Amino acid sequence: MTAARRIVLDGQPLVYQPGDTVAVAVIRSGGHPAHGGTICLAGDCANCLAEVDGVAYVRTCQTAARPGLVVRRHPTASAPPLRDAQQTDMANRPPGRYVPVLRTEADLVVIGGGDSGAAATESGERAGRKVTLLDAQAGIEVVAIYAGPTVIARTAEGMAHIHAREIIVATGAAELQAVCPGNTLAGLVTRRAAQELHARGVDLGVTVAIGSAPQGVPCTSLAGSLRRIEGEGRVSAVITTDAEGRAESSTPCDTLVLGLGHSPRDALARMSDDLPVSVVGPAAAAHALPAAPRSGVVCPCMGIDVEDLADVWQRGFHDLELVKRASLAGTGTCQGSVCLPHVRAFIAERSGQTPEPFTARPASRQITLAEAAAGFHPDPFRRTALHDEHVALGARMDRFGGWWRPWHYGDHIAEYWAVREGVSLGDVSTLGKLVVSGPDAVEFLERLYPMNVADIRVGRSRYALLLNERGHLIDDGMVVRQAETRFVLTFTSAGAGHAEMWARDWAETWRMRVHVLDRTMSLGAINVTGPLAGRLLERVGLPTLPRFLEHVEADICGVPCHVMRLSFTGEVSFELHHAVDRSIELWRALMAEGRDLGISPHGLQALQGLRLEKGHVIVGMDSELDSTPRRLGMEWAVRMDKPEFVGRPALERTAQLAENRRLVGLTMPGRAPLEGSPIWSEEQIVGHVSSSFASPLLGQAVMLGWLKRLPLPQSIEVDGRAASLSQPPFYDPEGSRARA
Amino acid sequence: MPVLETLAARRLVASPAALDAAQWSEGTLVLRVAADEALLIGGTEMELADEHAIVVAETGFKGAWLGREELVDRVVPHMEWPLPAARPVFVQGLIAGVPAKLWLAEDRSLLLCAAAYAHELADRLR
Repeated sequence: MTAARRIVLDGQPLVYQPGDTVAVAVIRSGGHPAHGGTICLAGDCANCLAEVDGVAYVRTCQTAARPGLVVRRHPTASAPPLRDAQQTDMANRPPGRYVPVLRTEADLVVIGGGDSGAAATESGERAGRKVTLLDAQAGIEVVAIYAGPTVIARTAEGMAHIHAREIIVATGAAELQAVCPGNTLAGLVTRRAAQELHARGVDLGVTVAIGSAPQGVPCTSLAGSLRRIEGEGRVSAVITTDAEGRAESSTPCDTLVLGLGHSPRDALARMSDDLPVSVVGPAAAAHALPAAPRSGVVCPCMGIDVEDLADVWQRGFHDLELVKRASLAGTGTCQGSVCLPHVRAFIAERSGQTPEPFTARPASRQITLAEAAAGFHPDPFRRTALHDEHVALGARMDRFGGWWRPWHYGDHIAEYWAVREGVSLGDVSTLGKLVVSGPDAVEFLERLYPMNVADIRVGRSRYALLLNERGHLIDDGMVVRQAETRFVLTFTSAGAGHAEMWARDWAETWRMRVHVLDRTMSLGAINVTGPLAGRLLERVGLPTLPRFLEHVEADICGVPCHVMRLSFTGEVSFELHHAVDRSIELWRALMAEGRDLGISPHGLQALQGLRLEKGHVIVGMDSELDSTPRRLGMEWAVRMDKPEFVGRPALERTAQLAENRRLVGLTMPGRAPLEGSPIWSEEQIVGHVSSSFASPLLGQAVMLGWLKRLPLPQSIEVDGRAASLSQPPFYDPEGSRARA
Repeated sequence: MPVLETLAARRLVASPAALDAAQWSEGTLVLRVAADEALLIGGTEMELADEHAIVVAETGFKGAWLGREELVDRVVPHMEWPLPAARPVFVQGLIAGVPAKLWLAEDRSLLLCAAAYAHELADRLR
């Protein structure tokens, strides 16, 4: 006994016959795969789309039925649901289907395996060319041609990306569908579809045909013109008129066959201007346009009817491309395959000129997002070695400067207080770290940076701006002297990659005898910060603490570290740079040793507030593309008495110009305004807030912002509230806490 | 896909001429990642005529040894650039969109990338 072959349609089993597609199986049962509309069974229209095995917009006429296939018809009045749209976890990849890409090359690609495609293939092979035939009937469906040229095809194994020298489009012609009242009913089929259904033994009931009658299908051919189709959900009668268009006659039927002519299936050729693409066979033939539509749905995909087109025309959109955009006809899933000839006929009747078809764009067939994205790789975001530690501690991870970083661990205010009052760990592994070594190292850095380098003693470090030739800030960090001719340079997390190239380029340009080694991803870095940070480090391997801006080599918790004492938070801080494979060991040991001190980690959200209280800028957040040290109020970091450094000529020149904007400190009571908020003065916008934070310690909002009106206005408002200019740092202006 | 594991290596930046003339102890796999930079896996000794060379222990890369089939089945489909025919050979570029390196021998290959990218590479080659 053979088990019945069944698919599941809308939750109910549906028996199918061998060789049936889903659409044929549904029609065989008396139904319609998409509730209504002409069935072409050629993949040209959107009238049989349904959700198949969880994938929406699948052409069921091109989908073979197989046991257990789950088919859900789309809703009649809305789009099918997006099942994965509720995935919001930024740190994890949403569930999806992996679609592999098969990359090949070909001399000649022929698209379409019909008579003209077979002839083109044979001709190419006779000429000794390597021909690749892509035939939808064989399961290789081309959906796009891109520059290259590259042909994109869907196959059972995945997406094929074929780099071709030449392409021949031999995709044949689609059958015209009728535009008249009632054309969205079930029971309408094209001539070829009728022939296929009949050949498969599908009972079409009482069948009538308009236009060219289907071969071998028992039916009544109707004379005259189609006026409208009547029925409740399904065709029950066809109304035609005589040759003069006057006398109407009604013919009862179960199925209406439409033999109305053809239109070229040439979308692939229309998306490949200026490429070596030619069209042959029926796809290249000059098919007659249908009569201009009078009423009924023109574009079934978008539900656009003749009245919609008339409205667009009346509003002055007469060019085909504009009619398309204004009406949305042709923008649906079939990409104009059904409506394009009718819209062209509509315009031709009104303008007296037949417009060329509109431009086609990928994809010419319905593909899934996974298929569209196949072979595409988004930019990878790096993880520090401590990533999993952060996640285990409950961190909310987010992407900053090319890295996944902890934004907070649940309570950024508690994290803030841990830094201000106790001891806290921050993962700063993402900072750029460059080693510069060589006999010309000092001269190289003197030229690269605007501050003095030669007088930095071994074992000391100095804050440095990095300027471009225009004197604009491009990055900042520390210059750390390890030996007479060896330095470590640090940069911002986001700027490290560019800074390395910048340093290498200048070393080459100046022909300096220096070596440059980027250790950004080789070294982890943990910032131990807070008034109790020193006490913790004394316990774990640093009996003599380095002074502010000093650095030492030491084993901390048994892990060799380069310990740099500096401060971004405003409190005592030690950055522990170490081999990246020891990060977890070091982090856990510090957390354990500091438990009685109340140690906890802090994320970027807390850090941004802490540094803002100190008035420290974040490059790219508080600086603009043309921020000079003067505009930033950081002229103290520039030594114009140096004879040469990158940006010096520009700074000298612009120093003569009147100052027209400045980064300033602002305070105001209450909550912190949104970063980016405009700054108002006398009812005019005079700047914007670049950073803001409601300071728990100071009890007010502190901000950095750009004022673009100088002299500085007397009264300013932010977020509808009065704000005051205030010289940063807002917290510990003497810097005594960081130096303690 | 084999697990990408931390590679114990040395990293070396020196003048290109010094690197060209350097002598390595037996068993050292020398990956010349740039004209002035090499990644050394295995081996302990070297002779290098550049007193200002930077030589550091390096644990910032992760890698996995692959058989020929693993390379062809798991890695090559994610590459948009052709592998050279010569063996042994060292190549670098994006694999599945991730900056990576390959050392290709006749019978096996070493796939490696910065440890910070290892999760992405492993995930994309899975």
